[in-house]
Amino acid sequence: MTNRSTTTAPNGNGHDSGAGHGSGSAHGSGAEPPHGADPGPAHPRAGWVVRRLRLTSLRIRMIAVCAVVALAAAVSSSGIAYWLNRDAVLKRTQDTALADFRNQLDRTVTALPLEPSCQDLQVAANVVATTGLRYDVAMTSPSCTVASLRSHYTAADVPDALRRQVEQPCMHCTTSPGQYHLFWQRVNLDGVPYLIGGTKVLPSGPTAYMFKSLDDEQRDLDSLAWSLGIATLLALVGAALLAQAAAATVLKPVARLAEAARRLGEGNLDTRLDVTGQDELAELSRTFNHTAAALEAQVDELSAREHASRRFVADMSHELRTPLTAMTAVTDILEDEADMLDPMIEPAVRLVVSETRRLTELVENLMEVTRFDAGTAKLVVDEVDIADLITSTIDARAWLDAVELDAPRGLVARLDPRRIDVVLANLIGNALKHGGSPVRVRAREDSDAHGDWLVVEVADGGPGIPEDVLPHVFDRFFKADASRRRSEGSGLGLSIAMENARIHGGTITAANAADGVGAVFTLRLPKNPPTKDGITQ
Amino acid sequence: MNRVSHLLLIEDDDAIRTGLELALTRQGHRVSVAASGEDGLKLFKEQRPDLIVLDVMLPGIDGFEVCRRIRRTDQLPIILLTARSDDIDVVVGLESGADDYVVKPVQPRVLDARIRAVLRRGERESSDSAAFGDLVIDRNAMTVTKSGAELQLTPTELRLLLELSRRPGQALSRQQLLRLVWEHDYLGDSRLVDACVQRLRAKVEDVPSAPTLIRTVRGVGYRLDAPA
Repeated sequence: MTNRSTTTAPNGNGHDSGAGHGSGSAHGSGAEPPHGADPGPAHPRAGWVVRRLRLTSLRIRMIAVCAVVALAAAVSSSGIAYWLNRDAVLKRTQDTALADFRNQLDRTVTALPLEPSCQDLQVAANVVATTGLRYDVAMTSPSCTVASLRSHYTAADVPDALRRQVEQPCMHCTTSPGQYHLFWQRVNLDGVPYLIGGTKVLPSGPTAYMFKSLDDEQRDLDSLAWSLGIATLLALVGAALLAQAAAATVLKPVARLAEAARRLGEGNLDTRLDVTGQDELAELSRTFNHTAAALEAQVDELSAREHASRRFVADMSHELRTPLTAMTAVTDILEDEADMLDPMIEPAVRLVVSETRRLTELVENLMEVTRFDAGTAKLVVDEVDIADLITSTIDARAWLDAVELDAPRGLVARLDPRRIDVVLANLIGNALKHGGSPVRVRAREDSDAHGDWLVVEVADGGPGIPEDVLPHVFDRFFKADASRRRSEGSGLGLSIAMENARIHGGTITAANAADGVGAVFTLRLPKNPPTKDGITQ
Repeated sequence: MNRVSHLLLIEDDDAIRTGLELALTRQGHRVSVAASGEDGLKLFKEQRPDLIVLDVMLPGIDGFEVCRRIRRTDQLPIILLTARSDDIDVVVGLESGADDYVVKPVQPRVLDARIRAVLRRGERESSDSAAFGDLVIDRNAMTVTKSGAELQLTPTELRLLLELSRRPGQALSRQQLLRLVWEHDYLGDSRLVDACVQRLRAKVEDVPSAPTLIRTVRGVGYRLDAPA
């Protein structure tokens, strides 16, 4: 008999360290705690999906990282817990069983005769099996082999390695070398885990084996493994949710920032972010707000200066108008009387008259320009037959002989007749001045994806416009030829014509004729302009 | 028209007043001048001119107010001198009862043409009369009565009604009416027509906001209908 249990079995002497350590709790998911509800403005619905898709990669990356961290933590802690538990449970069970077996053998086998018969052995095995802790017992002696009642196994089922170990005296067992020891091994018999312990009772005595079923323990460990698996899964889900929340707390401010930057870029310089907290994103928001404020201040200053200078021009024109009105009132008298004046004085009077008219035209054009700049120019739209309009424009300026008109009757458009009269007078007058007569004016309809258009082409027979001048013909005070400064009008005519076309939602383009003769100005007007300023129903 | 017309010019700026007085006198008118709205109203009551040329921007009571006060009792023609052709002045001035407007700086020839056109509107030309429901237009006496009561119409309103009544049931465009009534030689301001129609409706219609006589023809202009 031995009082020692060493082992040949795998997984023999487990260290009895604290089992049940951190059983599957998902600590350290790696996610920041949420910063609290984000007070940011709701996303405009448009573009939301796009932004979400764009941010998805970052979101997925955060979730993936959190999930991996959570998985590693949960799996390692669950694994350690499982193995420690398993060792503790098995060790306790087998220690108890083996100690009991040893005690039973002590009590029973010492009562056997020196040369026990098979019957004696059978009785002893039965006694050990029935009084012991629910295990089966098998005994062998040189003469016979017995097993306890209802035993499923006999000594033949004992693995060879264990049998050899048991049959030999233990040479390296330090306490009492040469003695026999109780050896054990865990095996699977018919799919059920068993602890098999065996020893030679006396050097001459029978060999006894016990078969202890570990089925209950296996079931306990299985259910433990299940629990740990489920806990790991829950930890994963929790980590993913935490990561999602963390991503939201980071990505929402980022999205707000992106939205604010976009609005700023669109010219809403009063865009500001609500800053809460002290984190890096709050710092970024503060920087954004400072930048936007500085930008707004600069733009405000610039526009204030521009506004002041425009205001000056507008005020100046108004101030000039009062003396001009008085002067204009008497120019007719002076002109009528000029013929009767002293030949020395007459040219002076005519000069005053003509320059007063020029000045008047210039001031009127200047005021018109400031009105466009200030956005106070208004449309007074009416249904107008374009042929009538062109005819009256030409007629009023005595250009009937110099203009070839090709306009169908009944071409009606909604427009401000007096503004279009200004446009036509400018275009035709310009053509007469630079191209000479005849000026060809052609009106027609045109339709495209943007609606119905009224197109008026004014073509002259002159030298055309140099290519480098073409882009500038609508610029204010632009003069194609610096030497021809006189009698060119105010230098605002085409610019005002363009503004008048624009206020109708139309445009004017300048080009040279395809056949190389003359310039062509094309006025395009929508047949139904935006009526926001129209006062006629 | 050979008779010398008597104009009252109300303008606060000395230079403009003097210049216009010179020019209009030279065009053959007799001109009285006033430098403020108050003086203008006083002169108007004393001298009963044929027509008033009225600056909008006046110290004290402004041109609109002068216009409204005159319109309470009298229907003589009023031409406004305004600063800009497209601002609110024109609309307010026409709503105050002005017949026409000119924009500063104005050429005396243009102002004279407008004056003569407005004065011509009071001239009688035919001798028939027409009835539209309870509205009777006597072209001989140049009077309009509604249910027997005589209506006080300005010459412009009367001319507009006459032109419309000459073509009952036929739509006249704003441009046509501008030529017929205002004698604008080319495209004039259609707001003149709209404002005058509003004023005329206020006088001849039973319910001015739901006109049964002077109908708006969408996209065309206006039409005078005999009530059904």
